[in-house]
Amino acid sequence: MNFIFTEEQIQFKDAIKSFLAEECAPASIRDGWQKNKSFNLERWKNLIELGVLSSNLPEKKGGLGMDQVTLALMVEEMGYAGLPEPVAEQIFLVNDVIPFLPKNVTEAVESNFNDGTQYIALAHPLAPNPLFLNDAAGLILLDNSECKFIAKNDMDFEIISSNDPSRELFKVSSMNDAISTSKNFDELNSAVSSRGSLMTAALLIGLAQKMVDLSSIYVLDRTQFGKPIGSFQAVKHMLADVAVKIEFAKPAVYRAAYSLSENNPKSALHCAHAKLMCAQAAELACKNSIQAHGAMGYTWEMDLHIYMRKAWSMMACWGNEDKQLELIFKTLSSTSEELGVLYTF
Amino acid sequence: MVTWPKEYGGRGLDLIQWLIFEEEYYRAEAPTRVNQNGVFLLGPTLMEFGTHEQKSKFLNAMATGDHIWAQGWSEPGAGSDMAAIRTTAVLEDDHYKINGQKTWSSRAAYADWTFGLFRTDLDSERHRGLSFILVPLNLPGITVRPIPQLDGEPGFAEIYFDDVKVPVENLLGGDGEGWKIAMATAGFERGLMLRSPARFQQTASKLLELYLANQDHCSPMIQAKVVEAWSQSESYALSIYHTASKMLAGGSIGSESSLGKIFWSELDHMMHQTALKILGASAELSQESKNDAAKWIKGFMFSYAGPIYAGTNEIQKNIIAERLLGLPR
Repeated sequence: MNFIFTEEQIQFKDAIKSFLAEECAPASIRDGWQKNKSFNLERWKNLIELGVLSSNLPEKKGGLGMDQVTLALMVEEMGYAGLPEPVAEQIFLVNDVIPFLPKNVTEAVESNFNDGTQYIALAHPLAPNPLFLNDAAGLILLDNSECKFIAKNDMDFEIISSNDPSRELFKVSSMNDAISTSKNFDELNSAVSSRGSLMTAALLIGLAQKMVDLSSIYVLDRTQFGKPIGSFQAVKHMLADVAVKIEFAKPAVYRAAYSLSENNPKSALHCAHAKLMCAQAAELACKNSIQAHGAMGYTWEMDLHIYMRKAWSMMACWGNEDKQLELIFKTLSSTSEELGVLYTF
Repeated sequence: MVTWPKEYGGRGLDLIQWLIFEEEYYRAEAPTRVNQNGVFLLGPTLMEFGTHEQKSKFLNAMATGDHIWAQGWSEPGAGSDMAAIRTTAVLEDDHYKINGQKTWSSRAAYADWTFGLFRTDLDSERHRGLSFILVPLNLPGITVRPIPQLDGEPGFAEIYFDDVKVPVENLLGGDGEGWKIAMATAGFERGLMLRSPARFQQTASKLLELYLANQDHCSPMIQAKVVEAWSQSESYALSIYHTASKMLAGGSIGSESSLGKIFWSELDHMMHQTALKILGASAELSQESKNDAAKWIKGFMFSYAGPIYAGTNEIQKNIIAERLLGLPR
């Protein structure tokens, strides 16, 4: 039994971390806001070159066949950097669900997304407003019983503004020529929902870590009563509380990812667990980070809100805390599931 | 002591196998181990810092339960500020002469031995000049006064030392190295060994059972707490598996153990608090009754100790902020 990462997994994580530190600085995110164009095509192309967008496609389709644990580690870094482009979405909600899509939808996706380099948006009742439709080749649409694929030219849509300016949301007003099927819907729906929970969980844990790091830097720098405010216990304890929450949310993310990679029948439960823990960690990170920044935390100028806004969005979509609590309870209270102290090993 | 080498009375198993053992132990609802201060704290410390003679003398007797151990850290003036220790141990020929007082000494009310820190350099201050000494509690000059606990049990005690002569071979490590050794012991206590995840997973399962049996008269707020209890105990277990694997791969456990100490102690309290809410008016019954109310109340009271012992959670938060987040002292 081994519960640590492989060297290769750590290498991928580090590679994307240093790429994003360079290419996705707060100034570049703000530049996207300024231009009303948060999808940065150049950064997207660089990520294609790094192999990130095809990382989890099978090797015979030009991918690296990467497992979900490595993906989660990489997505955590995308959260940490506040990456605006829908890379996590493409990896987890498109590439990773292809095996579950009905054949005709798979064909339509594959003929449109150019080996994973062309973005395909996805909408679902838990995240109903697709991201960056202007930059997408098409849309996978799941409602409550059917899966559709609509090519970009076959629909009309309008932009909806998000509280996170890095997220361009859309609403589809009409569509023609949708490919549509209800075949295998429940399995597909569950695969998508689980991945949505896991993806937002991994992003949230990165975002929470970023907020703690920004706060630690700030409280070292800001002086009151003749000392850095970070030397006061009231401030230390606020940030330590967040560090505790993050520490115990992380392993839930990695377990959920592993569970998906092993097709564990409890993976839906594990993904809900991950999202619950990460949403709670991120919620406290937002509250205590803004508090540690004092009035500066309430300004547009301070970078903190770049990450805070994204965290609020990630908490809300793909099943908020309440939804996850409900899903976990349903599983725990159904007698067919064996859980608890006896069922780890 | 399943992880101890066979020559010292253990099974020579690795940490993952230890976790499996713990799962079975808690699932069977086996009792708290009377010698856990010895087995989980002093044991690993002896293996790291003890001489061959000390290991063979103490470890086997600890494993068989022939020596029950108590810890001797705190003093009336040295609680969270442990470096303020004033009990002295003066070297005279082949023995140390000990004078002073220890308090909150867990298990001293019935233990045979105590281990703790004593000031061997009288001119020293703070954490310098302290030594780690093993003391038999039946020596002349020792008085043990049990302190009745909140739960009514005589768990901890005060220990008075009046010219107590302890042979010099009972010094663990070098003279003056006590602080370093004690920090290693404290790490064991906060970290892996004493708080096996199975303990909290078992409580979470029991809590779920209790809730399902009494669901009709509970509000959705209680249900959310029950789910959180399960989720947090799972997370704690997963995190400990990761730590165990890291240690098996040659890594070590440092200030991270402070994160765990806060997490499990708050979780334990939340779970018992929730159980009492489910119990409703029977949450004051201390005799055998439906729903095991008395057990939950006992556990509830004990859960107030978690955030205090092994270094208060406030001290742990200082450690996290200073050593993990890099904030100034």
